[in-house]
Amino acid sequence: MIQTIRIGRLLRETVTLPYPCLVTRPTGAAVRNRIEAALAHSDCHTAWLDFSDVELLDLSCADEVVAKLLLAEPVTPAPFLVLRGLREEQHEAIEHVLTHHRLAITATLYGAEAPCLLGWASADARATFDALIARDGATPAELAVALGWPEGRAREALQALVAYRILCSDGVRYRPLRTA
Amino acid sequence: MSRVVEVPAQLDDRTFDQFAAGFGSWPPEEKLLIDARAAQWASPYGLIGMLTAGQALAEAKRDKPLFTVPQSEEVKRYWARAGFFHHAADLFELHGKVPRPPTTGPSDVLLDVTPVRATEDVHEVVGKISEGATRILHGELGLELKATLRFTMALSEACQNIVEHAGTSGWVAVQAYNFRRRLGRRVVVIAVSDGGVGFRRSLESSHAKRFGERWGDGTALEAALIQGVSRFRDPGRGQGLAFIKRFLDQWKGKISIRSGTARLTIVPPWDEDVPLSEHLPYFPGAQVQIIIPAQEAESR
Repeated sequence: MIQTIRIGRLLRETVTLPYPCLVTRPTGAAVRNRIEAALAHSDCHTAWLDFSDVELLDLSCADEVVAKLLLAEPVTPAPFLVLRGLREEQHEAIEHVLTHHRLAITATLYGAEAPCLLGWASADARATFDALIARDGATPAELAVALGWPEGRAREALQALVAYRILCSDGVRYRPLRTA
Repeated sequence: MSRVVEVPAQLDDRTFDQFAAGFGSWPPEEKLLIDARAAQWASPYGLIGMLTAGQALAEAKRDKPLFTVPQSEEVKRYWARAGFFHHAADLFELHGKVPRPPTTGPSDVLLDVTPVRATEDVHEVVGKISEGATRILHGELGLELKATLRFTMALSEACQNIVEHAGTSGWVAVQAYNFRRRLGRRVVVIAVSDGGVGFRRSLESSHAKRFGERWGDGTALEAALIQGVSRFRDPGRGQGLAFIKRFLDQWKGKISIRSGTARLTIVPPWDEDVPLSEHLPYFPGAQVQIIIPAQEAESR
């Protein structure tokens, strides 16, 4: 099951100004608190954080909302997180802060369907992510064949992505998160 | 005894040190007269720098300074349209006839002189700038549409530095104008100024030790702008200026920050400024100027 959290709506509930601009650290922290409250009551497998009705996201808010959400101690069991509806400059701001913190997340750009890996990840992790998206899941052995790698290398890259909560696994197959 | 501080005929980031030197030791003991009669032009940096001086003197519990307004009617009208006199009236005893502020500002003023006191003001600034920024940056300067949003992000980060670090309020102004002599093109300029604690004092408790005897206004500016350090222990802090710098690299823009007795500049290829100036006349707080030039025809 998937829960959609509309960030623009949380922003409107947090500040009374008419502009859909997610700026300043106090505003970002307030919006993050509301996201955390929503996630604490969620029994969903995945939560989509939808930024499509946010006009502007500054770097401070990218850090307060996204990076600190990923850095926080998660509720148990925590839903997997996906960012959706990101405009190019929002993507850039979030990428900047996640790279700074060595964090990563699955995201889709505004109007796009294909997901991307946003933030800090090794070249192997990125290649693995792309290969899994193309196949909608794989075992380490299948991935190793597809990428021409030894199985151990494929398994290691998959496990790194699981640790980032970018992939889910039933112990045999590894799957990307649902983004559409 | 009173001290006369002359406002240079052209008040901008280059002549600002001359203005700062007029105050002598800070805060000056004497009653001040700020003499702008001969002023012919002031950049947004100059306008909010003068307000910062007035604000810092008020916070230092000095007598309200006298301020003689420019003799030129055109200059007075322009300063009034940019919102300068509206705020100056609270900080100075104005001498000379001041024109009534018009209901709308000049078309090249994207954001008139605006106080930044709290987070809400940053929201207000960001909201106000959005429409005009697209018209000027995309329509006149030939920057890509996406640059408009990055520009607004940079403005937001620069204003937040006041709220987060200055320990007092400050000012912001944004304007487009022709940069004939230095560049031969139009530019848009963001100026942000406060009369607060400045970079050195803001960072001192957390970073001075590792710099030892080298610690000063210049090293504090380098630590903040080049190394991205912050006074907060939160590892997510200190990225705002780094992001602005990256945005400016992309658009061949320029950022200079003056704080205390030093000024640090990221110098673009079109400019011949000095990267680091030290031992300047002291001026309180921090003054930031960001310049984004019109893109050259071949790069459009």
